[in-house]
Amino acid sequence: MKHAITRIEDTIVLVSRSILRFVKSPAMNRVITYIVSIAILLFLWEIASLAVNAINHSRLLPGPYEALSQVVKNTAELQRHFFASAWRLILAILIALAAAVPLGLLIGREYTLNRFVSPMIYITYPIPQVAFILFLFLVFGTGSATKVAIVALVLFFQILVSSRGAAQNIDEEHLTSVLSAGATRWQVYWHVILPATLPEILTSVRVSIGLGVAFLYIAETSAALGTGLGTFIKAHMLYARDLAFAGIVAMAILGLVLYVGIDLLEHLLCRWKYVRRRPL
Amino acid sequence: MIDVESLTIDYGRADRAVQAVERVDFRLEKGRSLALIGPSGCGKTSILFALAGLLSPSNGTIKIGGNPVTGPRREVALILQNAGLLPWKTVWQNANLSLLLAGDYPEHNAGVILHDLGLTEVKSRFPAELSEGMKRRVGIARALSTAPSVLLMDEPLASLDTLTRERIQDLFLTLWQEHRFSLILVTHDIVEAAFLGQEVIVLTKQPARVKATVINPKMGSLDYRQSEAFQRTVHDLREALER
Repeated sequence: MKHAITRIEDTIVLVSRSILRFVKSPAMNRVITYIVSIAILLFLWEIASLAVNAINHSRLLPGPYEALSQVVKNTAELQRHFFASAWRLILAILIALAAAVPLGLLIGREYTLNRFVSPMIYITYPIPQVAFILFLFLVFGTGSATKVAIVALVLFFQILVSSRGAAQNIDEEHLTSVLSAGATRWQVYWHVILPATLPEILTSVRVSIGLGVAFLYIAETSAALGTGLGTFIKAHMLYARDLAFAGIVAMAILGLVLYVGIDLLEHLLCRWKYVRRRPL
Repeated sequence: MIDVESLTIDYGRADRAVQAVERVDFRLEKGRSLALIGPSGCGKTSILFALAGLLSPSNGTIKIGGNPVTGPRREVALILQNAGLLPWKTVWQNANLSLLLAGDYPEHNAGVILHDLGLTEVKSRFPAELSEGMKRRVGIARALSTAPSVLLMDEPLASLDTLTRERIQDLFLTLWQEHRFSLILVTHDIVEAAFLGQEVIVLTKQPARVKATVINPKMGSLDYRQSEAFQRTVHDLREALER
């Protein structure tokens, strides 16, 4: 009997230690942090909803429960709009990356090119790209291509300016190191400039996601019809706000998924940034 | 043989040019070692970069093996101050960088060097996971991977603690004796110059000119630091620098 009790005690200790280790692991820690943050946000939203509705004596601002239950009830429709927005945003990010990174790195490293291109950036960067929305709709129509183009245009400048700055700040010793080993200009870009600037480029993409979601919303709501979370939110905001807020929740999820995706990509591509000195 | 004649290096445009090196001459026979010593910022590194083909002299000539230096070449390896490792490449990739850039599949040679330098166990680690001493070893492995005939070193042991510094100085000496490359070391450390240079050239403040040449014929053994000859060389170098 005594032996059995000791074994049970040992098992409990072992299980609780394993749980503690799991909870303390960095991955789990992050998941817990996310859950706690989301819980706090939902709580604040509930408070705001109660306050706004009490002041207005109406049901102007739906609470998280109403919005989330609409997400569950309208999963199929929301999914259609979610994926329409998601692919537009992802495509826009990819187009912006493909255009801005090579150009940013080149003007960051090639003095003559920088002299000519930088004034163009300084002139065009501060122009609010939102001013071109109607013009683009007039020229290209109200289809997906225009919406993608608008978001890509906004992200292009963000990523361009970041990649140029990152390329200008590369450690000279890294460049000397590969040049002395006989690297060609292309090899310098491939082996030093691109990997050295990648963390900053990914950070600029992460920062751009919020901007991208906002401009996607503007682009989608500027077109009268079509799919996309922007269109869905606009269509329901006046008469079915709980549905509109379900759309807003879906948009937040889209942003979160992309943030987490970029984080994972950074951990995968820039593994060297996350290692620490360890003994043999 | 390395032949440097009237080497002059200016930086900047002609009207506002700053002279870093002025009419420096020296000659180094194949397989011998030379240390260039002088105050910080005097222009030592410029001389080394010109030898590596990374800088074009404003005047004068540099010949290695009878051929003028016009750019980096495979038989000349350079070890930089902080080993020049790329943080995003593993020890193996860093050590084989010169071979990879040349499009060669890493030769057996590189594996042997990593083994000899005690780096086999850490070959898949990133530089950030290594101690400073180990990073320097990876830098040495990279330099030796192409079996160079000339090894240039730009203050390769700066910022290391005394013990690690001495250990790596010993390693340099052993490798130099084993591989018989010509060695040119740039340093501001008198002890390092006296331990590794068969000849030591003392340079002036900027622009760097040859101030004195100290011959150090008895160097070459690991216990040289304890000898009187070593103390004498250190003393001579200090005097030449202070003069």
